[in-house]
Amino acid sequence: MAGLAVALGIAMAGIPREHAALPAVARYAMEVALPRWGLTEPVNEIVYGTRGFDTFGETFLLLAAVVSVVVITRSREARRGYFGESQAGQREQQEGDPAKPADAGEQEARAAERREQDDPAYGDPRPLETPDDEPLGTPAPEMAEAMTVVTRTAIRMALPILAVAGLYLVAWGYSPGGGFPGGAVLAGVLLFIYAAYGRRRIAGVVRPGLLEGIEMAGASAIILTELLGLLLRGSFSANWLPLAPPQTILSGGIAQLFSASELIEVGTGLAIAIFALIGMGHDWTPDETNSTGESNSTTSQGGGES
Amino acid sequence: MILVNYLAAVALLCIGLYAVLTRRNMIKMVMGLSLMEASTYLFMISLAYRAGSTAPVLLNPPPGKSTQSLVHGNVADPVLQNFCLTAVVIGVAVTAVFLSVVVRIVQHYRTLDSDRVRDLRG
Repeated sequence: MAGLAVALGIAMAGIPREHAALPAVARYAMEVALPRWGLTEPVNEIVYGTRGFDTFGETFLLLAAVVSVVVITRSREARRGYFGESQAGQREQQEGDPAKPADAGEQEARAAERREQDDPAYGDPRPLETPDDEPLGTPAPEMAEAMTVVTRTAIRMALPILAVAGLYLVAWGYSPGGGFPGGAVLAGVLLFIYAAYGRRRIAGVVRPGLLEGIEMAGASAIILTELLGLLLRGSFSANWLPLAPPQTILSGGIAQLFSASELIEVGTGLAIAIFALIGMGHDWTPDETNSTGESNSTTSQGGGES
Repeated sequence: MILVNYLAAVALLCIGLYAVLTRRNMIKMVMGLSLMEASTYLFMISLAYRAGSTAPVLLNPPPGKSTQSLVHGNVADPVLQNFCLTAVVIGVAVTAVFLSVVVRIVQHYRTLDSDRVRDLRG
């Protein structure tokens, strides 16, 4: 470790510092940004223009990561939404050894789980929509779906601003911004709604069928944008759209198209990954009481199923 | 004194690597990997810095400068900023992959301790 730190530290002493000249590739990007792309924002011009192929690869790296998350978090039960783990909970209940009595902690956890699944035998069948009506001094944790009126109001104030900011970052492509930060902001908007209002409010929008469809539409738009450059202009990711005057929303040709598709791709991709992670769970393998040799076989079995 | 930034990036990378190598808690290992990622962001942004430079934005040039003088003038390196921009988003997605793998491992072995996840041991 220390050796690595020293070696890297010595290497750092040899690399260009703040007085070095700009590399040729950076100077080139600065020079072509305005004349060739009509963009006053060289970083955007590099992301979606001169280094468009690089971004193209990054986009599909992101897509691959999202697909891996979706595959890994796929549950054993058949379900259409990110949230809907009732079947898995029931199966787990049955798989547990009925002869072995559950200890206090397990009983508590199972009761909470059943309560979460709206089982009337384990407490209030319909938890409150918001914690506002809960009497003062109710023991934590709050079972309500949404958060308190304070949080909801704050998020309701912030949300339109955030959503507009995310879209602005992409639409005004001639100023700093672009599809990557814009998409991250829009995924944050979805998360805010989820945190403040609970899953029921977003269940209509945040479902795998819809989000994955939009994500694929964004990815195909990117492929199409880049391929049309190859077909119409003879080189991959070349600009095939007429250049609008600089400092307008449309300036930049395909850079703007690429950026908007990237917004869709990144926004839905991050949302899919995050909600797949939030929605996973209740997929525990049954308790092992056997020796290690036995657990090997169940592992391969479980790996095949999940 | 941008060298301080470089050395800070090296320190961050080493702290992250140290966490990955020595921690047994898999969540902490993922945190170490994220820290290593963050060190590359710091390194690339520091590498883009030029003494006394302006941002590589041709919109509304600072007073006393024209767009053309900016094009040939002293600006921060936009290529490295581009790398950082995309790397941040990819980093989030890759961390999500790590975390989902960790959750699956935990569900399988009922432990976060990587030392007790031994089924792959030949």
